[in-house]
Amino acid sequence: MKKILVIIVNVIIIAAILIFVVLYSSFENTDSYRRQIEHFESTMVTMEKVTENYLEGEQQICDVWAHYINSEHMTMEEAVAFIRASHVLENASAHLISLDTSTGLSTRPKQGTADDYAVSYKQIALLENVDWINEIGESINITRAYTNPMNGEQSLAFCNRVTLNGPESDSSEAAVLLRVIPISELEQKWVFPQTELVNAELSMIDANGDYILKGHSFKNSSFFEFYKSYNPTDPESSAKLFDRITSSTGSVPMLNSHGQECILAFTPLSATAGWTLLGFVPAKDLHVDAENWLLVGVVSAGLLVLFLLDLHYMLHLNKRFQAAAREAESTSKAKSDFLSTMSHDIRTPMNAIVGLTTIAEKNLGDVESTRESLRKIRLASNHLLTLINDILDISKVESGKLKLSPMTFSIVETVENLVNISQPMIKEKNIDFSFHINQIEKEYLYTDQLRLNQIYINILSNAIKYTEPGGRVTVDMREEKSTIPGCIRLSYIVADTGIGMSPEFMATMYQPFSRQIDSRVNSIQGTGLGLAITKQMVDLLGGTIDCQSEQGKGTIFTVILDIPVADRQRDDMMLDPIDVLIVDDDEILLQTAADTLESLGASVEKAQSGLEAIGMVEHRHLSGRDYGVVIVDWKMSGTDGIETIRRIRTEVDENIPILLISAYDWSDIEDQAKAAGANGFVSKPLFRSTLYDKINELTGKESVSQEPEDNYSDLQGLHILVAEDNEINWEIISAMLSMFGITTERAENGRVCVDKMRTAAEGSYALIFMDIQMPEMNGLDATRAIRKLEDPWAASIPIVAMTADAFSENITECLDAGMNGHIAKPIDIKLVIKEIRRIKEGRGS
Amino acid sequence: MMKKTMCMFLAVLMLLGLTACGSEKQDVRSEEGFRPALDTSVSCHISVAGGYNNFEALETEFDRFNEFYPNVELVFTKVDDYNNMIGMVLNGNDAPDIYVNYSWMYGRERYKTSIDHAEDLADPALGLDLGCIRGNILLNTNDGTLPMVPVFSNTYGMLVNNSLFEKEGLSVPATYRELVAVCDAFREKGYENPMMGFSQKETTSLFTLVLYPYFCGTVAHDEEAVKKLNALDASAGEYMRPALEKLVQFLNDGCVDLDACAEIENNYDAVILRFFEGDVPMMLCSGDAVSGTKKRESRSEAFIANPFTYTFAPVPMAEEGAYFLDMPNLQFSVNKDSSNLDMANEFMRFLITPQELNEMAQNKGLISPTKDLSFNSMYTALGAVPESRILSPEVFGLSDDAVTQLRLAGYLVGTGEITIDEAVAGYGTFTQ
Repeated sequence: MKKILVIIVNVIIIAAILIFVVLYSSFENTDSYRRQIEHFESTMVTMEKVTENYLEGEQQICDVWAHYINSEHMTMEEAVAFIRASHVLENASAHLISLDTSTGLSTRPKQGTADDYAVSYKQIALLENVDWINEIGESINITRAYTNPMNGEQSLAFCNRVTLNGPESDSSEAAVLLRVIPISELEQKWVFPQTELVNAELSMIDANGDYILKGHSFKNSSFFEFYKSYNPTDPESSAKLFDRITSSTGSVPMLNSHGQECILAFTPLSATAGWTLLGFVPAKDLHVDAENWLLVGVVSAGLLVLFLLDLHYMLHLNKRFQAAAREAESTSKAKSDFLSTMSHDIRTPMNAIVGLTTIAEKNLGDVESTRESLRKIRLASNHLLTLINDILDISKVESGKLKLSPMTFSIVETVENLVNISQPMIKEKNIDFSFHINQIEKEYLYTDQLRLNQIYINILSNAIKYTEPGGRVTVDMREEKSTIPGCIRLSYIVADTGIGMSPEFMATMYQPFSRQIDSRVNSIQGTGLGLAITKQMVDLLGGTIDCQSEQGKGTIFTVILDIPVADRQRDDMMLDPIDVLIVDDDEILLQTAADTLESLGASVEKAQSGLEAIGMVEHRHLSGRDYGVVIVDWKMSGTDGIETIRRIRTEVDENIPILLISAYDWSDIEDQAKAAGANGFVSKPLFRSTLYDKINELTGKESVSQEPEDNYSDLQGLHILVAEDNEINWEIISAMLSMFGITTERAENGRVCVDKMRTAAEGSYALIFMDIQMPEMNGLDATRAIRKLEDPWAASIPIVAMTADAFSENITECLDAGMNGHIAKPIDIKLVIKEIRRIKEGRGS
Repeated sequence: MMKKTMCMFLAVLMLLGLTACGSEKQDVRSEEGFRPALDTSVSCHISVAGGYNNFEALETEFDRFNEFYPNVELVFTKVDDYNNMIGMVLNGNDAPDIYVNYSWMYGRERYKTSIDHAEDLADPALGLDLGCIRGNILLNTNDGTLPMVPVFSNTYGMLVNNSLFEKEGLSVPATYRELVAVCDAFREKGYENPMMGFSQKETTSLFTLVLYPYFCGTVAHDEEAVKKLNALDASAGEYMRPALEKLVQFLNDGCVDLDACAEIENNYDAVILRFFEGDVPMMLCSGDAVSGTKKRESRSEAFIANPFTYTFAPVPMAEEGAYFLDMPNLQFSVNKDSSNLDMANEFMRFLITPQELNEMAQNKGLISPTKDLSFNSMYTALGAVPESRILSPEVFGLSDDAVTQLRLAGYLVGTGEITIDEAVAGYGTFTQ
């Protein structure tokens, strides 16, 4: 209804514009027409002057002749001879007519004769009454157009009365002198000067309306009769009009004999008695409206095109608005749903935390129960933390404030971390998990590690989350050449045999707050933000994410990123010459591991089962060429890794270095494996550097990257200054660090911290954990102040941020202020210890 | 769907609006009877010369012709003292392309130029529809050529005030007896002048109007008499006696009051305006005068105040009834020396058709030369005259000189200047 209203309003506006244009054009036409008529009238006045000048000139010649004839008392013959002598115009002639006889003499002979000058006006009703001929010089005395009796030409004559001497010397006779001009002569001169008035005609009428001169469009012998014949009128109106025509200057519209509208302009000839000059022109000649119709046409066409375009655009816009409205509605609904979900999702772990805390408090005496409660509280807290992190991330993404903070990191560590994080769930759901590494040569890369981790973890955790227990999840990471200089192309392919996704959901799966509607999904914890964040991160890193999924069969996510290679890389890793046996029933892993080992300079032999491996080890042993290292996968069909190791130890050799490979958390099988005779463990995926370090360790070479594991003796006695305004947080960190033999001292805010540093003796503190948001002086300002202290020890003391401001830009801000590291709250004690060791060993990033 | 329909409707509406802004359509009348034979875009000037002050009926034909040839400028020019001047005009610088001609000029040296300049219009190549013209007014010369074609015809008769006849319960007379009876009846009803006519000059005087048709009736079938009359033989005067006696009888029967008639100043305007006074049941006049009636209705205050219906009828001078004297009135010739001869002939081809001739006659108020006289109610009475009583002096060969002798003799007898005997004896000697 509103659309129709808009269209109608548009049409009304267009119609109004067109009406305005037409009216304006019409007004302009009318105005132009009026001006043209005025112009025509003024031309008539000019013509009247020209005509008058001409008539006066001709009359003056006649006057001069008449005056001379009268003054010289000439006879008719003498007068004719005189005029003949003074006559110069070729086509003009003069007649002297006796009023008594209406006959006389002509200055030119009769047509067809040489000497017949006699002329008669008896049959021409012209000179019966000569009262209209005034005295010489008084006025213009001109006849109507008549037929020249001497040559038959239509002519008119300027007249004067003269007195001639009669045949007898004492007699005289009254006569009329006629200076006769052919009409054709006059017509050539008597035309309108303007080219636009090419169809205009002139006539001259006397007071009775009879034509003196007649243009061809003028009909009848009387103009008045002509007017009445073709124009509807009544006697009174026509009498008034004729009176006006013969007494004033002006114009009137009238119809010609064709019924066409014409303009009659009139002006009195002032030099004559009652004569009027008439101009007659078709009205269409004075109209100049062609361009206006063109204007109307162009405006109409323009408006029509505009209207259609607008209409089209409006319909298009409407569709978009409708789509946007639908989307907004959908988003709004999604947000409502999200909030509802959030409420549920936050309350669930919170319920667990609160409930379990109550249970723990009541069972303080039961250590096992309390430990179980605390373990569950930790799990619930971690989930809550993930949820909050995701919300904050998507909020950042949507507001466009997410920025990258690239840094150098180890892809090996990233993958290790990825696997470690995934292990508990994999184990819990008994998922067949494998992680394949292909040609990873560049260990250190330079990008935003945090965001990369988010991408990889999100995809992998989804795969695990949505795969039914007993299902399979495989990860394939591959390094390829990039088209971007200085980069490698890192493919990350995660395939699962999970529940899959519907095509409808796949169309919107990257939109925030979307979760597949599925009873199985609803039972799985999730925020609906993971994929949205992942997609945003991938876009931010300039990569691509692709998904293939089939409901009930599984999903494959592929992320391809071009990542800059860090300047720092491990030195060339080459093993001393060594024979290595690699045992795995996974053919692909077997081959990739063999390739990796060969790239490290090892001679590699492969066995696809435990029995085959035992045979090969025995054969070597018997031939006195024992393998330098035997690497055995734990999970193999038939004889598994532990059994294989046991049999090698018991049946072949007790000293061959053997490594056990596992994609799973090997802490569960550590004791069993060590009892079987394994010398060490290595986690899948088998990175080049990992293998290098492990083989070197087994063969007695120092590992460059080995970190002490459960030995915290290096931390004993460390004294750390903790700037923390919150009492509980202070207690937590203090208690946690004390578990590792680390002592702490509290500074209640930044200013106290700076003061303590200013007065502290050198070596008083190993480092400072600095909260950021504190009263009086925040952590950033405090760091800047410490860095400005005069004491070089104090000014250079390691400072690590320990803050709930966990975004990458917060980290950057901290580093910019002069800090050496960043730990996000809530704190993970493992990360804290790792950071302390990093600081302590002086490994900066 | 509704939206699309509306858009389409509006688009069509605007397109129609635009179409309406287009140029006006030319309305060229398609004439079934005439198809242009020349290039219709040609520009030229065609002048037609004649003695009329006005010839609006012809000018109307010009306009109609211009619908086919819009660039041809046609002009009618009045030549003063036409009969005497036309020869000079034809030889001069203003020679017309078409001109008015008269068959009475045949064989007269004085008018030789007017005949000599005329193209032979009987030439089939010209394509003139001569068959539409009544044969007794289409006059070929002795050598078979046709220098002129009639565009109007003329006759003598009387204007009849039908309203008066109707008012007084009288019928228009069909015989001489009825004529006298009607005159008596009107007089008895108080009408002083039941019949009037022009009498001041012999030209188209009432005497000629009543005498001439009757005279033709007496000699039309007598070749001997015509021959003698044409020879202006004095003995031929006797042939006038019956007609002159009829004239005298007419006067004696009191049909007209000559004193009253003498007040009518001319045989055209004055005759018409007197008739329009409304008190004269019958006004003697020629067909020429009838042509001026329509235009003069508005000039007559009496007629405007008391309009009436009128027609033209032949005067029933014979007991058997009236004679319809069928004479060519105005004839057109084409100047064979015309610089625009093709276009002049094209105009004649356009004009000489029943439609155009009737149209022009209707506009002029004259009798059409075509065979169909029924188109004009004014002349219905002429169409009712039986074939045997339709006479054409040109056809039975009475010369113009003979007619002039009759006319002069009739005028003199009518006005009482001479007796019938003197008139008969003086045949051949009367001069204007």
